[in-house]
Amino acid sequence: MTKILTRAGLAILAALIGVYLILPVLIVVPMSFSDSSFLTFPPGELSLRWFRNLVEDPVWIGSALASLKVALLSAVSSVVLGVLASLALVRGRMPFRNTIIAILLAPLIVPYVIIGLASYIVFLQLGLTQTTLGFVLVHTCLAVPYVVINVVAGLVSVDRRVEMAAMSLGAGPVTTFFQVTLPLILPSVLSGGLFAFFISWDEVVTAIFLSGPELTTLPVQMWSGIRVQIDPTVAAISTIVMLVIFGSFIVLGLTRLIRQLAHRRSATNSSATNTGA
Amino acid sequence: MKTTKLLAVASAVGLAVTLTACGGGSSSSASEESLTVTMWGGAAQKAHVDSYFLPWAESKGVTIKQDSPTDYAKIKAQVEAGQVTWGPTEVEPNFANTACEAGLLEKLPQDILDKAKETGVAEDQIGPCAIPILQYSFTIAYNSDTFPDAHPTTWAEFFDTEKFPGKRGFWKYATGGMFEAALLADGVAPDQLYPLDIDRAFNKLDTIKKDIVFFDTGDQMTQMLASGEAPLVQAWSGRIFQAQQAGEKIANEWNDNLVSYDQIVVPKGYPNTELAFEWMRWFLDNLEAQAADAEASIYGPASDKALEFVPEEIRKELPGYPSNAESSAGLVDYGYWAENYDSVTERLNTWIAQ
Amino acid sequence: MTSAPADSSTGRLRGRPLSLRLSLWARFDGWGALVLPLLVVLVLVFGLPLAVMLSRSLTDPSFGLQNYSDVFANSVYLRVLGNTFLIATIVTAVTLALAYPYAYLMTLVGPVWRMIMMGLVLVPFWTSILVRSFALVLFLRDTGAFNSALQSLGVIDEPIPLIRTLPGVVFGMVQVALPFAVLPIFATMQGIDRRLLQAAESLGDRPAGAFWRVFVPLSVPGVAAAVLLTFVQALGYYITPALLGGPKNTMIGELIVQQVSTVLRFGFAAALATLLLVTTLLLLVVAGRFVDLQKHLMRQS
Repeated sequence: MTKILTRAGLAILAALIGVYLILPVLIVVPMSFSDSSFLTFPPGELSLRWFRNLVEDPVWIGSALASLKVALLSAVSSVVLGVLASLALVRGRMPFRNTIIAILLAPLIVPYVIIGLASYIVFLQLGLTQTTLGFVLVHTCLAVPYVVINVVAGLVSVDRRVEMAAMSLGAGPVTTFFQVTLPLILPSVLSGGLFAFFISWDEVVTAIFLSGPELTTLPVQMWSGIRVQIDPTVAAISTIVMLVIFGSFIVLGLTRLIRQLAHRRSATNSSATNTGA
Repeated sequence: MKTTKLLAVASAVGLAVTLTACGGGSSSSASEESLTVTMWGGAAQKAHVDSYFLPWAESKGVTIKQDSPTDYAKIKAQVEAGQVTWGPTEVEPNFANTACEAGLLEKLPQDILDKAKETGVAEDQIGPCAIPILQYSFTIAYNSDTFPDAHPTTWAEFFDTEKFPGKRGFWKYATGGMFEAALLADGVAPDQLYPLDIDRAFNKLDTIKKDIVFFDTGDQMTQMLASGEAPLVQAWSGRIFQAQQAGEKIANEWNDNLVSYDQIVVPKGYPNTELAFEWMRWFLDNLEAQAADAEASIYGPASDKALEFVPEEIRKELPGYPSNAESSAGLVDYGYWAENYDSVTERLNTWIAQ
Repeated sequence: MTSAPADSSTGRLRGRPLSLRLSLWARFDGWGALVLPLLVVLVLVFGLPLAVMLSRSLTDPSFGLQNYSDVFANSVYLRVLGNTFLIATIVTAVTLALAYPYAYLMTLVGPVWRMIMMGLVLVPFWTSILVRSFALVLFLRDTGAFNSALQSLGVIDEPIPLIRTLPGVVFGMVQVALPFAVLPIFATMQGIDRRLLQAAESLGDRPAGAFWRVFVPLSVPGVAAAVLLTFVQALGYYITPALLGGPKNTMIGELIVQQVSTVLRFGFAAALATLLLVTTLLLLVVAGRFVDLQKHLMRQS
């Protein structure tokens, strides 16, 4: 009985949290259809002008692609470097362990504006401003603590005996890692990678320093008018991104559903031909 | 399932690699002349660039590159590193003053300074490193739904929360005009404002402190006014009029307005400085371009002489309009602010946090 | 004893006794050495520029501790710093209180619902923080949808002031922090074998007891990760508090940005940042004493 009550209570709480999480979306999407050049909610007259602006003005698509590229590369490099570092922290010995941990966590603690300015001053000399490489380097540093914290949490829950069993059966350390450990920590790795991607995708403070006419990321493009007037196109961008994500989720869900159905059908077929196994 | 994951990872990596290969960083064309213009971004920057950069650039065969928003830290970092990429940049006059003295900006040649005066630019808005690019005023903006009949017409009335109840909006910025407004409300004569008696201003602000709400951005300013949250705001005249045109029930009260302006500077060491100076000469001569910008952005032109080319309905909402200029309480003195911005900002931070 | 590489890059150890050089490298075992690639990248890209920047706190505008004495001279900076830690603590507590049950429910439901719940958690990521904060302001203000709805339902007569208050700031910041907390907690919970709970129950424990005595302790690594991430991240926020909060909710990030971008006192800003960094690291060390972070985060006593 208590189980049902607690489950019900949890469900209600989760539903409320769900609404809380998508609240901004519920506001932003209608806002993006407003005709006004000011961000208003509820929207007055409706129009698609901001979506048209998104398509017609090349700066938006250009900066979106730049952001996508930077975020993907940063996520990949953060995950690779971060997973290696997590393995080292959990499994290995190293001198000055606490100092190393402090260095790994420091990008989380130091204000991004300081990191941005510091990198800017150095990158100006190296010619790395307004380059993809410069962005990826900085964003990797910013994102890596997220990966490490997540993967470490995942690694500690791994039962080492499974790994030892694999190795006793003849698998080398690398094979063991890819075949045994990685699948076990995959949720944490994916979480970390996801965080890394979004940290880079939405990052604006250091991006303002590194951006310029040659290369601008989407958040900087969105922020650029904030002092005087925010361009309502930013609302249209959010709506489009939402559509893309929901679209992919639906596609993913459908493919899984189809595969499950196919699997089930082949299972019934095979069981029909399987007499008494 | 494993294969799917592998495929997903592989495609992500492949996509990343392709994207890198595709957009492999455009190389800046050193052969063609280019000018990098940096302003405060958004629709206003678009209007400015369209009005008085692109026409000149097309006639000269120059490419205009744009960056935004202006960031004083970037200017300082660029100049210190000797790698300046920003050309004509829109800045606030107190920064122009301080930066000019600190050697961060190119000094303008004398002929440009002379030409500015000749073409009708106010002399007190010209600096050794800067010419004005636009003007606006800090006005008493009011919500016409909250105050349909009577509204404050002087700063003294603005500070009178008994006669006109409601919150007051101020720009959270030392040079946002609140100290000038407080002193004027306290009875200081406009020609005796500077140097500002900050203590006296804080005392006056204390009388309405619990009713003050601050804004950081233009959108916050119009929103708090239009929603009635703060039915009286010390506002930027242009934005209020634009919102009014868009249907919001707000308006500018021009009496007692404080005129302010932004300037154009060139960071020291910019490779195309001579080109920037050429543009400046063209800009100062070209009153029609200035007027076109005024019409598009609702900011006053650099030279009041350009006003005659601006349509009447917009001219009424610009600082240079005769009745607005007459009822003005004066020009914000950025020479004072150049010296005192840091200390007053710190006092403001402290006062706000109490 | 493994021998040190012939010409190690530890130039600073040149001249030191061979035994020290040998022992430094030997203290990295095979696993431990995996941290080196990241360490190198971090030190080069992040550490060195940062060190140069932070050293400006001692040299810009003049040599010495002038910047630090300026910080302590005006109480506003310390007050804002303290306020920052307070707000971060509140945000972390609220986020944890919401994230834990949400993640737990995610482990209980079927795959379809789980995907939906995961999708909901990821939605905030896809909206830029600028847009999100603006939307929340429009929602929470006196004339916004929230107050209007409550008023039309008759729940309240006067609008509840939510923006420019601490609850408003917490509302906005928790929204940003939730995804960062739910994911690591869920990832850990997913790995907990439910048969352990069943075993506990079969040994006579009540379901609630099994939960608290078996499940919760096993979920601690995820919780520790979530707490660390949320708290430290919250220290650095300033955009959301600036848009949603009042003047009393100013956080140190805003002041640092102000010093960098408008007042242009790089050295002073560096001093503030150094102070924040040192205080946070100290806090983590102190917390580590109480909670033995190493043991929980890395299962090493």
